[in-house]
Amino acid sequence: MQVDQGNRQLTFEARLSRNSETIDSVLGSSVDVQKREFMLCGKPDHKGICYFLDGMVDSQAIDGILRALVVLGNELNLDPASLRSADAIRTRLMYSASAKLCGDASDGVQGIVSGDTLVLVDGLEEGILVSTRGWKDRGIEEPSSENNVRGPRDGFTESIRSNTAHIRRRIKDPKLRFDSMIVGTRTKTDINIAYIEDLVKEGLVDEVTRRLGDIKIDAILESGYIEELIEDAPLSPFNTVQSTERPDKVAAALLEGRVAIFVDNTPVVLIVPTYFWQFIQAPDDYYDRYWVGSFFRIIRYVAFFISLLLPSVYVMLVSFHHEMIPTSLALTIASGREVVPFPVLLEALLMELAFELMREAGLRMPKPIGQAVSIVGSLIIGQAAVQAGLVSPFMVIVVAITGISSFAIPSYTSSLAIRLFRFPILIASGLFGLLGFATMFFALLLHALSIRSFGEPYLAPASPYRHSEQRDMVFRLPIWMMDKRPQFAQDTQREGDRQMPRPGKGKS
Amino acid sequence: MTKLRISNGMFISMIVNMIFVKSIGVTQGTLARIAGQDMWLATLLGTLQGMLFMYVAYLVMKRAPGMNFLAIGEALLGNWLGKIVALVVLTFFIASSGPIMITFVYHLQDYFLPEAPLSLFLVSSLLVGALGCFYGLEVVARLALLGMLFIFLLNVLIIIGSTQEFDIRNLLPVLEQGFPSAAEASLHYDADCAMAIMMAAIVMPFVNNADKHGGKVGMTGLAATGMVTLIWALLEGAVLSAEVTSRYTVSCMKLARNAHIGDFMQRYEMIMIALYSIPVLFEIMICIYGTSVSMSKLFGMRSNRWMIVPACLLIGGFSYRIVGDHFRAMQYLEKVWPYIAVPIAFGLPVVMLGLAVILRGRLRQAG
Amino acid sequence: MTRKILILFSSLAALMTCVSCVGQRQINELAIVTAVGIENGQKPGTIRLSAQIIRPSDARGQTGAPSGGTGQPIYSALAEGQTIFDAIRNLGRFVSRRVYWAHNFLIVMQEDYARNGIEDMVDFFTRNHELRMNTRVAVTSDSPAEVISTITGLEVVPGQAVDNLFQDNEIVGQAPSSDMMNLEEAYLSRSSEPILARLTLVSRGISNKKPQEHGSLKQVELAGAAVFKEGRMVGWLSPEETRGLLFFTERLESGIEVVGCPNSGNKLSLEFRDARLKVKPSYRNERPEFRIELRAKADVVESGCGTNIAKIRPDIERALEERLKGEIEALLRKAQREYHSDVLKLADVFRNKFPAEWRKIGDRWSSAFSEARVDVAVKANVKSVVLKSEESSQ
Repeated sequence: MQVDQGNRQLTFEARLSRNSETIDSVLGSSVDVQKREFMLCGKPDHKGICYFLDGMVDSQAIDGILRALVVLGNELNLDPASLRSADAIRTRLMYSASAKLCGDASDGVQGIVSGDTLVLVDGLEEGILVSTRGWKDRGIEEPSSENNVRGPRDGFTESIRSNTAHIRRRIKDPKLRFDSMIVGTRTKTDINIAYIEDLVKEGLVDEVTRRLGDIKIDAILESGYIEELIEDAPLSPFNTVQSTERPDKVAAALLEGRVAIFVDNTPVVLIVPTYFWQFIQAPDDYYDRYWVGSFFRIIRYVAFFISLLLPSVYVMLVSFHHEMIPTSLALTIASGREVVPFPVLLEALLMELAFELMREAGLRMPKPIGQAVSIVGSLIIGQAAVQAGLVSPFMVIVVAITGISSFAIPSYTSSLAIRLFRFPILIASGLFGLLGFATMFFALLLHALSIRSFGEPYLAPASPYRHSEQRDMVFRLPIWMMDKRPQFAQDTQREGDRQMPRPGKGKS
Repeated sequence: MTKLRISNGMFISMIVNMIFVKSIGVTQGTLARIAGQDMWLATLLGTLQGMLFMYVAYLVMKRAPGMNFLAIGEALLGNWLGKIVALVVLTFFIASSGPIMITFVYHLQDYFLPEAPLSLFLVSSLLVGALGCFYGLEVVARLALLGMLFIFLLNVLIIIGSTQEFDIRNLLPVLEQGFPSAAEASLHYDADCAMAIMMAAIVMPFVNNADKHGGKVGMTGLAATGMVTLIWALLEGAVLSAEVTSRYTVSCMKLARNAHIGDFMQRYEMIMIALYSIPVLFEIMICIYGTSVSMSKLFGMRSNRWMIVPACLLIGGFSYRIVGDHFRAMQYLEKVWPYIAVPIAFGLPVVMLGLAVILRGRLRQAG
Repeated sequence: MTRKILILFSSLAALMTCVSCVGQRQINELAIVTAVGIENGQKPGTIRLSAQIIRPSDARGQTGAPSGGTGQPIYSALAEGQTIFDAIRNLGRFVSRRVYWAHNFLIVMQEDYARNGIEDMVDFFTRNHELRMNTRVAVTSDSPAEVISTITGLEVVPGQAVDNLFQDNEIVGQAPSSDMMNLEEAYLSRSSEPILARLTLVSRGISNKKPQEHGSLKQVELAGAAVFKEGRMVGWLSPEETRGLLFFTERLESGIEVVGCPNSGNKLSLEFRDARLKVKPSYRNERPEFRIELRAKADVVESGCGTNIAKIRPDIERALEERLKGEIEALLRKAQREYHSDVLKLADVFRNKFPAEWRKIGDRWSSAFSEARVDVAVKANVKSVVLKSEESSQ
């Protein structure tokens, strides 16, 4: 906990006026700083002050503190003179669940800005820091970017404590650990590192802690800051850290021996280490029956390849390798392109750009207008542009299928990465045909093969090939067959023997 | 960086990738010219010979675990004489770039992009190759694993597309040209195996448990290659007939062009070439890697990274000269390359084994 | 790593500026050829090449923005040159788009051209990477330019129409389905000779506007075959002889034969199925000998005999056997006596069975083939009368 912004060690003294001056000098005259004077047990010679920030505190909790300090002593017939230490007040008077002594004024200030209440009493060299944090939270909602049909509907919120509670509720294992850190010299953002002690990959927690500890930054406003500051391949467009708003995803990751990083004030939780293929897997895969899960997972793999390659393949075929198109299809394409003035590459780039534009505009617009954008966009691009002879109908179809496919990838952040990758491949194949396509594709492949995520190869378990992990790779095998954790976990066995249900066995 | 390790599966797929490309593409045509419809037999013979010498290479490695041929050469012969081994290996890899580039360029240029300049093919492939080398051998090995998958798909596609034209009569009679010509033809397949053997000579130390069962793994790799190549040899013989196969520089493309699924998918050789290009680029990577490693040994450098660019330039220059002229390329491929490859790849392990037995003490000292 | 990626991308960028768009052609900038005809030019030693080029916007109707509109789906053009390639280049003098051959369906050769030798044609069409290998190849005695530009009633693109004829060829079974792949294989092979289908222009189509002039529209007919020897065409096979050939080269299984009723002058149609041909070679007195056995089942599909078929079953079986045997023997006569060309691929059978003997006589196979003794035995069984029950009909 480093406070290195000018205020040196500030200690409390016995005089209340001096102490209050110290606090005032640090906090300044912010309007939300509230000072509430009181008299201990209602006796005028025992003055005291409560400091708290309006809006950050639960006012009922403040009421309770004041009631304890002013009224309760009288009711218990306590003499304030007998309460000559802060500890005595804390233990004999106060009934707040969390209250701790605070001998250092800078800790006190830190507490106040975090939403705690600092109680100072004249004549005492220590203050009492009572936890009164309470502010308006967003209610728990279904995460909007990660929908599913079957499965829990709850999502993370902006409050770190309720987020960790989500996990605790799912995993009632005493070995589940949350380590706390604070990052950001000004924002002092709470960060929790969650893991299951006897499952987590050996050395991973130390590595995560080290990387987080190395961060020197003034502010962390979202977990994206953390992600970019700790990832293995900072230059790569691939994201090597998984991010999710779904507690069930995080719980599943922890149970596989991974580590989750919770950041306060954001519903997005980070998971490391990450395989690339995780981005294509959705929680539904595991909640629906395995036939369905496998099928839709394969559909998503197809969607991944389509969204990455389809425009490039189309451009390459139409501008270089016409002989590969079946004749009747070739004639259809040719007739659609008869009046299009642009080369295919330019046409594809324009359409891709238009599509991204529509997506972005639809996202940024206020919700009621967003609809209008999509209507106008689809009319203009789908109908008018074709009628005007600016683009060929085939290109519209290709771009539309590509766009739809990229939305089928469950992880929004990684579908963005794929969108980016589309362009170099598109340009290379539009300029050099098959040669450009193959070269660029394999350069990307090589790059993906070379990166790691917290010590794990990014494309595992496909390459390097890990046999036991194939059960949850292309196919989602039945739960009773997925009896192994990923091999980096400390304990890889996750099921007993012979879990396949056999009705009627053993009973009559 | 963590210690470099290549699993046995990766090593097997590296061997398959290394041989497969050239053996189905260019070698089968040569085999058909010499042995007629017995080209599959020649492939089989070549596989057996390759396995034998792979085992010899393994025997050398077994005596000095954790050392590649270059290091063993230095340990046995001393600093300066050891450079001879490095020079021989360097010669091999530079010479091998000729057939590799012939395979790559003639597949893509002649069949897909006849108007693109040769330099474009060389530069782009060498760029990707160099990139792979910079990322290190482990990444290249992982690529080989994916390449294996692609080879599998490629074989499935060609089988689907060609079986309806399969005519066993084209393969008969067996041994019409006699055994000697089949044996002579197998020399050309040996030259392909030679690349795998020399690759093993460089990378075997990194393979898990290489000193225990590296020989077995290497031989399995060659056997697997033999199998996947045999599919093509049989199909080329039966579908195209040996006469047609022998007419083409790149006979596998001829087969791929003939393949069709129903009446709608009249041609899909491009899919096959897209699948094919991983193994080709892998070959180029290994070629660059081998050249750069032996060059760095020659100049006494510890890391091969600084030698990658010079290696690329050397390979590029050499292969530009070879590939640019089809006549010269075929001359090199059939008359020169096997007589460089086979003596080096089969002779070097034998010589090294002999030296290792004679100078056992030195090796133990170094180890 | 950073630097390496940067180097890679910057060098790629540099490359792009140097050689960008190498050989790039949009699909709509191509003149897609769907059929090509080859004949001798007017001047001796020249070649006249006619190409049927498709006009996509009219061949496909309107997709996308309006275009085209003259209504003609194809455009045919003629060019002459010293060689095929020369003629193609000359085509570029007046065809405004780049002539593109990859989607070619059909190559038609004129008889005179084929009689002069087809080596350059086989070589050209297999050397070029654009061309697909299952292009149909045929010979015609009419003008190839006319054959390729004759619009058929059903298909928009004539080349495609002929291709469809070839595809459904096994129903009629009177022409070999010869394509470039087979042609090249047979042409290069030491043992077998190529055989190509025959296209003829016949007046069979009926004009909708002038139905009274029935059969005035010319249509392309696929029937018969051209026999080659040592790369030159030597003669024709009639449709019936071609039927006999198909048993050998394409394992023909079914077809229709008409036989006379044994009891009257009427006719009876038989559809034979599951025909199996076996060739048994033997070698005696330095000469190859072949025994050819054909077995087939047959159904009665049309009968004008007016009698119970069960009664005349042995008779019609014999009649069918005679007919099939006649076809094969007619073919053998033509191939052995007249053309001396082994189009039946008997050499392959002999070579597989007797490799050592083949080495002796392989070089003079055409004369050995001509002198070979061939026995033909046909066995046909009439098994079914389709829907009707003939036993109880009387």
